[in-house]
Amino acid sequence: MSLVSDLIAVLGRDRVLDDRLDSWTYGKDAGVFRGEADVVVLPESTEEVAEIVRVAERHSTSIVPRGAGTGLAGGAVPVDRNVIVSMIRMNEITDVDPENRTAWVGPGVVNLDLSRHTEVHGLHFAPDPSSQSACTIGGNVGNNSGGPHCLAEGTTVNHVLAVEVVLAGGEVVTVGGGAPDPIGLDLRGILVGSEGTLGIVTKVLVKLTPNAPDVRTLLCAFDSVEDAARAVSGIIAAGVVPAALELMDQRMTEAVENWLKAGLPTDAAAILLAEVSGGTAAVKAEAAVIREVATSSGASSVSLAADEAERQILWKARKSAFGAVAQTAPDYYLHDTTVPRTRLVEAMTEAYAIGDKYDLVMMNVFHAGDGNLHPLMTFDASQPGSFERVRAAADEIVEMCVSKGGVLSGEHGIGKEKRDLMGLMFDAPALDAQARIKEAFDPGGLFNPHKILPQGSRCFDFGRTVPVPDGAWI
Amino acid sequence: MAYVTSEAPTRRELSACVQCGLCLPHCPTFRLTGRESAGPRGRLMAMSAVLDGVLTVDEAFDDAMSYCLQCRACEAVCPGLVPFGRAMEGARAELDAQRPSTRRSVRKLILGSVLPNRRLIGLATFGASVVQRLRLGRLLPGPIRSPFNGMRSLGGRQSWVGREALPAQDPIGTIGLLAGCVMDSWFGPVHDATIGVLTAAGYRVTVPEQQTCCGALAAHDGHTAVTRELAETNRNAFADVDLVVSDAAGCTAHLKDYDHWVDGGFQAEVRDATELVAELIDTGRLPIVPGERGTVAVQDPCHLRHAQRITTAPRSILSAAGYTPLEIDPDALCCGAAGIYSVLHPDTSQELGARKASQVLGSGAPVVASANPGCEMQLRSHLDGKIAVAHPVELYWRALSESRLDTSSRSGAL
Repeated sequence: MSLVSDLIAVLGRDRVLDDRLDSWTYGKDAGVFRGEADVVVLPESTEEVAEIVRVAERHSTSIVPRGAGTGLAGGAVPVDRNVIVSMIRMNEITDVDPENRTAWVGPGVVNLDLSRHTEVHGLHFAPDPSSQSACTIGGNVGNNSGGPHCLAEGTTVNHVLAVEVVLAGGEVVTVGGGAPDPIGLDLRGILVGSEGTLGIVTKVLVKLTPNAPDVRTLLCAFDSVEDAARAVSGIIAAGVVPAALELMDQRMTEAVENWLKAGLPTDAAAILLAEVSGGTAAVKAEAAVIREVATSSGASSVSLAADEAERQILWKARKSAFGAVAQTAPDYYLHDTTVPRTRLVEAMTEAYAIGDKYDLVMMNVFHAGDGNLHPLMTFDASQPGSFERVRAAADEIVEMCVSKGGVLSGEHGIGKEKRDLMGLMFDAPALDAQARIKEAFDPGGLFNPHKILPQGSRCFDFGRTVPVPDGAWI
Repeated sequence: MAYVTSEAPTRRELSACVQCGLCLPHCPTFRLTGRESAGPRGRLMAMSAVLDGVLTVDEAFDDAMSYCLQCRACEAVCPGLVPFGRAMEGARAELDAQRPSTRRSVRKLILGSVLPNRRLIGLATFGASVVQRLRLGRLLPGPIRSPFNGMRSLGGRQSWVGREALPAQDPIGTIGLLAGCVMDSWFGPVHDATIGVLTAAGYRVTVPEQQTCCGALAAHDGHTAVTRELAETNRNAFADVDLVVSDAAGCTAHLKDYDHWVDGGFQAEVRDATELVAELIDTGRLPIVPGERGTVAVQDPCHLRHAQRITTAPRSILSAAGYTPLEIDPDALCCGAAGIYSVLHPDTSQELGARKASQVLGSGAPVVASANPGCEMQLRSHLDGKIAVAHPVELYWRALSESRLDTSSRSGAL
């Protein structure tokens, strides 16, 4: 039997998509890479996922798990003629435990839907990527996603207590647990952020965070990006760790304002969005400190969101920024690197200089609080050589950030995009250690091949990507 | 073969999409299926692929495009300002040109020739009223039964077409009201209310004889030639008014798009009745009616909220009428009526209709307000008589009339 008919036997005709149009539409995520899938499947249960894994193994076909396809590093983009496993229909929220503040959720649950669902208990899921209205918990787990509020709350790994995962051979295991310090090796920690290269997560026990009794959001406008970046270090040096601290430069603000009409100060060179949350007295005091530091760093204006509606619109402005860029050019390349906060000012200046050097329009909107830069370059892919220029500039920015003590990726993952830059961060033994973990989980190279680890990571690498069929000569 | 018509989605329209995916949770068909090709991003990708010669206008393309409700919820949340509704109408025009079928020809005939024909609509209305009176609705075939069950009781009304209504004092301006293909004969009380409210605000309201169907349904289904003809007829019929007003949100959305279909579009500005009435209340031309009338669930028609971005108007009208508006759906997902969609994709339509009805009932309100005839029929059909359905302007007009009666009887007693 063929791969497709075996999959149909498991899932039925409706949830196996093998038309050219379907493979094409699953060939991309929100980033810049395109591949083409062989077949797309939409499982609804752990058992079905396990069966899909077995079928794929039997046919020596690799598997790419996919959430909402809002990733930017090509993690969900097929490289070979893979089977794409879309987890979107596994979207049940079960066992919400308000007392222990946990919930078991399917990987296809949309991030924001989870927080909406638990709102009645005064709880939410803290990681809030800008794509949170669309991205899934499974995708968040795969990429160890961050978001503006990870400054105070930490990234996804801090909010996942356990995962159920389908491993090679279709084996189903649950790692981690509700206890604060589960015994044994922390496989949960290894699986979170593994981008589907070790197995397929089919269920997640998430930690829920109480909604803060009081929240204040300040909008500070600056005449220069450097002043805004300086204010960021200043605020944290003054002893305040805001819930979120976000910076947006003028080009970005203009694009967003053109769509949202939120009343953003488009004449400012940069705006800083600072949010503090907690008890009313503390929030009030922290907001006062932020106002003071911003002003002494040269802010031309500081305003406080008057009510929840105004606060929501400020966040909508921030979180829709990338999409808004589409108004300015047909394509964009959004970057994700990190530098120590203290070196933010110089890193920003150098990033703009690299943009100028390659004659690219660069915009910035990023998680300033944790030094997570998102330089964004617009281009037109139909112009020959333009994408290569962007990639060259992007690589140079990564190198610059790493040389300042930063890391390759803040939150978007490595995927296909930064795989070949891993050498900037890790030496051969460090890459080999990671490759050995991959091999232990996935000896046949079945799960999301060609992602994260560059070719040759494993010492004595044979470059195997698909299992060798029985009886074949090697 | 790539695209063959001048209406085809253009590179410019399509390249505005950067595949960020923020539209996905707002798309009803993506929510139901989880399939990329059933979501805006996938549909746009497929349209681009045809433009690039990667895909053709084949059966799969037809399925993906035809499954779209054209609710335009994606458009309202798109930070990249992708004109999705436009692109989809272009894709439908291509289907019309490249994949002719009997079903398409029948639809073209109904949407392009029957709907704009007042005599045929009159006949159909008479037939429907007979079926209503004899209670034979249950004998109708499934896909038609549901909209039929959603109809108001028919018959015994004088048409507004060719008539006008004058305010008590010198008019502050002239409004041309779109009679609509079925609004006039099926939703007469909504026209009565709209005309009553607008004359109370001081306008002269005319319902020009020469007008015809707005053409929205023909445009959505890709019948471009007839869409243009209808637009042209209406432009001429409404040449002498200060404002063009429609009390059917789907029609208003399309009228506002006329500059695409006919050179220059309307001379006068186009306003939805809810938009204009809310403004007249705001500026004090219409009163805030005293008294409390309880709660009302607000259903946002897609072509009011997403296509025209009108959200506060129906709520402020209802508040001014003494009601407490209740929210039923933060995502404002389509109710599944979507023009002729309920007949073409009954299963999806039923699923969305049932979902919307349960949200409405969950609010506990004794009445739900909807500013579009299609949504109203879908709601009434799925609510099965449990609670009342009315246009927001209708509820305001009732409240205003009651309070005037009160005032006049009280002043009579004095």
